Amino acid sequence: MRRIWFAMLFAALLPAVAHAQQASGKKRRPLPPEFGRVVLDKGLDKGPVAPVVFDHWLHRAKYTCRLCHVDIGFAMTPNGTNIKASDNAAGFFCGACHNGKTLAGGKKVFESCGGAGSADKGATCLRCHSLGKNVKPEHDFATFTRGLPRGRFGNGVDWEKAEEMGLIKPVDFLEGISIPRKSLTAQKDFALSPRLPGMPEITFSHAKHTVWNGCELCHPEIFSAVKKGQVKYTMSEIFDGKYCGVCHVNVAFPLQDCQRCHVKPVQ
Amino acid sequence: MRRLVRPAAALLLLALARDAPAWNSEPPADFGRVVLSNFTAKAGMAPAQFDHWRHRARHTCRVCHVDVGFAMAIRETKVSASTNQSGFHCGACHNGQVSHAGKPIFAACESSPKKAEEARCKRCHAMGDPAQRRKDFEAFAADLPRKGRSGEVDWEEAEARGRIRLLDYIEGVSIPRTAIKMDKDVTIASQGWMTDVRFSHKKHAVWNGCEVCHPEIFPNGPGAGRRSMQQISAGESCGACHGKVAFSLGDCRRCHVKAVE
Amino acid sequence: MHRPYVTIVAVVLAALAWLATSSTRPLGPSMALAEVPAPAKTSARDGWRKEFEEVCARTQDAMTLSTSELRSLVERCDILKPALEALGGSEGKVYVKRLLACRNLYAYVLESRQVQ
Repeated sequence: MRRIWFAMLFAALLPAVAHAQQASGKKRRPLPPEFGRVVLDKGLDKGPVAPVVFDHWLHRAKYTCRLCHVDIGFAMTPNGTNIKASDNAAGFFCGACHNGKTLAGGKKVFESCGGAGSADKGATCLRCHSLGKNVKPEHDFATFTRGLPRGRFGNGVDWEKAEEMGLIKPVDFLEGISIPRKSLTAQKDFALSPRLPGMPEITFSHAKHTVWNGCELCHPEIFSAVKKGQVKYTMSEIFDGKYCGVCHVNVAFPLQDCQRCHVKPVQ
Repeated sequence: MRRLVRPAAALLLLALARDAPAWNSEPPADFGRVVLSNFTAKAGMAPAQFDHWRHRARHTCRVCHVDVGFAMAIRETKVSASTNQSGFHCGACHNGQVSHAGKPIFAACESSPKKAEEARCKRCHAMGDPAQRRKDFEAFAADLPRKGRSGEVDWEEAEARGRIRLLDYIEGVSIPRTAIKMDKDVTIASQGWMTDVRFSHKKHAVWNGCEVCHPEIFPNGPGAGRRSMQQISAGESCGACHGKVAFSLGDCRRCHVKAVE
Repeated sequence: MHRPYVTIVAVVLAALAWLATSSTRPLGPSMALAEVPAPAKTSARDGWRKEFEEVCARTQDAMTLSTSELRSLVERCDILKPALEALGGSEGKVYVKRLLACRNLYAYVLESRQVQ
């Protein structure tokens, strides 16, 4: 009988301890090289190649957001673009540059989803289709970002400052794909008032955003309001990945850095 | 009637056991202990033992949980020898270069430790002797104000008296920002017979900033983070800290402040 | 008496010259239709691309365009859309999306003007 008692007590205590430990608190913050990671697994979870792991940091140091998300046509949500190997092989999406011919930094960009993979026993395929596989990336994050100005959270790099200092020069035009355009006439900066009294006012800079995004990336898909104050943005929606959160959760500086937007103290 | 005694006792035990860790204070030397064992078995090492009390007298919660980026749930951070050696997680300070009290902090994790270096591994990767731990704790907390039945340290009082000075900045890791002044107290209405809770933003923000709690533990929006005591004792909401590292929930009056007449 | 001879010789020489230069002389329309149907198709293909590039080139300064210019651009986008959808495959997928992005931007700027 006593053994049954002990067994019951043990059984009663075990889930309590396990439960307390599993309860969700603050999640782990992604490490600098992991921030901006997008996993593309549509149609790949069962197939012969692993889902694609795309880390934004290397591309964002070399190209503007607009080039990929407007000119080449990538969606702003993972799996939203619906890329197929045939699209890449035909020179669209990844294949716009990853075609074995386009030069980047003086070197030819490796071909994606073409014949290259079969030639080297899939080693080229693994460069992108690497989920769950221990693939050593060609460009080491620490080496690449060594001289760049430090930023808080995210990739640990202040990309804005890096561009100001001329350490990165994002390319905004791809021959044969981009349309020659006139230079941008940006809207003015404006202030947004927070709903929570006591929080500093938000200063939104159109100039800073349009340098990398142009107009079409945000309007009207992400920001459809035509009049100031028409749509009320709430922080819970933003944290959920809407509005500012489309970029500022996973690729641009994350929302934990409150003071980058909430700049003006309430007088 | 007597036949019901044992089953009733069993049910009572069950009810208490479910919430035991959060409510009852463990011996203060063991309170706030975290065992890191995601990869240690595979690496052939003993699990790493982390005692919060050693660090919380020196650093704010914010500096580790926001700047360095530790999660606040067990097995979430995925600390490994390689992340430490790359300067992340423990390696942000435990790298043989960052100094504390004039001495460099011992480096965490060696790829192939020499015999002489194994003692350093054991500083974390060892079950440790509970009696020794208690001795260390008593020596550590000798002149710190203690509270409650179990004699846990009153960290708030310790800071107020200047016995501890918490560092909110790690060179090369932290990037300073202008503090957002949020001194608002929030009254959380109690749903039962207990008095209302008075939550002090000021007291919490001093050690946590904004980012430790918002939005992951306390989502934005009025009433969004509201949880029952049952949920809190299971580790949600206030229970993310209280009962694990901060003062345990058995100390009711610290939150359920007597209503102002 | 010699004149008719001269005329005949001149005509024969002219005919020979005409034949000799026929390979370098550009083909007239009547010759083209029979030989090369493709150029007509190529120019239609190039046509949509040219129109697309013209229409979507004004997104950077959309704010400075007049209301009538914006309306005309939206109209041109709407007219072009079926041609891009007809392309099909990867090309159609990409270019329809790009067209919609610039069309919707012009519509957005128009709407904001109307509100004011």
